[in-house]
Amino acid sequence: MNILQKIAVPVVAFSMLAGTSAFAENVKIGNIEPMSGPSASLGQQGKAAREMAVEEINAAGGIKSLGGMKLELIYADSESKPEKGVAEAERLINTEKVHLLTGCWNSAVTYPTTAVAERYGIPFVVPVSVADKITEQGFKTVFRIAAKDSWWTRDQFAFLKDMQAEFNTPVKKLAFVYENGDWGTGFAAQWKKLAEEGGYEVVLDEPYPSTSTDLSPVVQKIKRAKPDVLLLTSNAADAILLTNTLAEYNVQLKAIIGSGGGHADPSFMKAVGKNAAQIFDIGEWETDVNKPGAKEANEKYKAKYGQNLSGEAVDAYLAIYVIADALERAGSLEPAKILEALRATDLSSGPGMIVGYDKVAFDETGQNKHAALVIVQVNDTGNGLERITVWPKNARRAGYTPVFPMAVK
Amino acid sequence: MTRNTLQRLLPLALLATVLCLPLAVRSATYLHIMILVYLYAYLTTSWNLVGGFAGVLPLGHAAFFGIGAYTSTILSLQYGISPWLGMLVGGVIAAAVGVLIGLPTFKMRGAYFALATIAFAEGFRVMVENIDKLGPFALNGPRGLQIPPLNFGLAEMMFSGKEPYYYIILIMLVAVLLLTSFISRSKLGYYLNAGGEEPEAAMALGINVARAKVIAMAMSSFLTALAGTFYAQLNLYIHPKSAFSLDLSFEIAFIALIGGRGSIVGPVLGALLLRPVSDFSRIYFGDTLPGMHLIIFGVILILVMTFQPRGLQEPLTRLYERLLDRLSGERRAA
Repeated sequence: MNILQKIAVPVVAFSMLAGTSAFAENVKIGNIEPMSGPSASLGQQGKAAREMAVEEINAAGGIKSLGGMKLELIYADSESKPEKGVAEAERLINTEKVHLLTGCWNSAVTYPTTAVAERYGIPFVVPVSVADKITEQGFKTVFRIAAKDSWWTRDQFAFLKDMQAEFNTPVKKLAFVYENGDWGTGFAAQWKKLAEEGGYEVVLDEPYPSTSTDLSPVVQKIKRAKPDVLLLTSNAADAILLTNTLAEYNVQLKAIIGSGGGHADPSFMKAVGKNAAQIFDIGEWETDVNKPGAKEANEKYKAKYGQNLSGEAVDAYLAIYVIADALERAGSLEPAKILEALRATDLSSGPGMIVGYDKVAFDETGQNKHAALVIVQVNDTGNGLERITVWPKNARRAGYTPVFPMAVK
Repeated sequence: MTRNTLQRLLPLALLATVLCLPLAVRSATYLHIMILVYLYAYLTTSWNLVGGFAGVLPLGHAAFFGIGAYTSTILSLQYGISPWLGMLVGGVIAAAVGVLIGLPTFKMRGAYFALATIAFAEGFRVMVENIDKLGPFALNGPRGLQIPPLNFGLAEMMFSGKEPYYYIILIMLVAVLLLTSFISRSKLGYYLNAGGEEPEAAMALGINVARAKVIAMAMSSFLTALAGTFYAQLNLYIHPKSAFSLDLSFEIAFIALIGGRGSIVGPVLGALLLRPVSDFSRIYFGDTLPGMHLIIFGVILILVMTFQPRGLQEPLTRLYERLLDRLSGERRAA
């Protein structure tokens, strides 16, 4: 967008407030993402991945059933604040006249924002925002690509059980440390239930604000509680702070298991270096995933944006392909037609399908039934620190043996 | 036309214009921005009772805003009580809290008072963030409260369009402006002014400065809580970080400082300038230059503070007077 356009847009908007857009030849996709504020780096990754998918689709001839119509992305900054997300959704729908919405990464933003889309009947594709309740509102316009958080925690505990059996190392005491927002408290509630079912003892249950600049009180509590395994739910800045502080206090644990988010952020490994070694993390995707096209997509992304694809980026990338597939089948820009096509989605091939699972199809709540997760270990096998897929066992990188329990440092 | 009739007619013309504005502005987005302008003008005017007239700098009004938002929302979600009634309950609770905060803190001067009010507001936020249930009331901790958009209508203070919200907040704003202009000319206003400028001298004259300040605080907290309810009904979602946010307390103070503290029109001018700047720059730069709107906001603040430390209200009032002179051909009576 050049400067002239930037000035022209508000002028035009003001002079024809009620009029329809003069640029109706594109499919407009409104994207609400945290472009500034604490989760900005994740918002930027989502933006890059969407752009790459849209460029590919447009270069391949756009949406053929709509006469080669091109996709156009419009971004709005949520600043990770729910009220901003809600206001931006209203603006995108009313002023920009978008045909679809995607976003918002932060569950706390996605939750009220999807209610706006529902009110206007505009399809809302959520690439990744894990709070269960987002698809449990009885809404007809919400579709989520990624697994929801009850599936994440379910797999974290399944992994823990498998590891104890595989390495013959019993785990008794668990510590839960999590950011106190929607996401963290949602995970922690599931952990508590699973710990009870699994017969574990919870020795620490500690929420913290993810904007903290000092987490040593939390780390001291962890050290005193002496857990075997520490489960974390952190955003980027606090994941870095926690990991470094844990190393500084030399806290000995059998395993640290992250929940994606900050631990999966590319800035995490850069900022903590070897302190990240042997940390487990759950995620939807890894660069070593064994899927056709995955390696090429990652190389293209890395050349363009200077970092590897993350789980979040892949979800956003896939979301655009899911939207394109639905538009192709809908052959119309009417919200009702697009919604119907999204509901009938059954996508198992195409450039977007570089995820670990094999299919995208939505259940009646709008949740992708086939979404699944992998667990990785951060380690250095001679090529520097990398995320190595370790679980499920049949997806484990050939020749790698996970380190469990963690080596005493 | 004489200067006096002009002086009377112009505000009426302005009122007529803002009343008709929704007829011209059909876009929900721009109407939403106008609603936020009025909301912040209202909040800052309420704040001005203490922060402007009484000469202290409270930076914790988010506490009252949050109390208002949470009280009415809980009452309507759990007990089906209309937000209009909940609004008043929230206002009364906020006024009581305001008095409780005011009694010890008004003894402090300058920065100490400002810091103490920040501490109270942040304390409220942390408490609400960490409390899931307070007795029978579900606060829902950090997850916040969502109001399901089901019962639209005046009784439920919930509308599918923006126009009703526009008129509600406009009426609230006009009412609070009339109230402050009345108070500024009442005995209480003079007490506050005297107590703000020269507390010792005022006390020597037999004015109970502390009592005047506490009364002003109670009114200010009550009015702020009403805006909290309005905000909850507008967004249909509140959580501790939005309803009790420190940003809100600061933004109110910024608007007052830029517009002109202690004057009647200052808060309105400040909101009229700062709110659209913040919203439009987010809309137009949020995509290409993330974070730009925050920088623009900061630069404006610095410029105004450097060149117009008493707020934009001063030069603009002079301009307005000159306009009146020009239109009527009369000179202002000195």
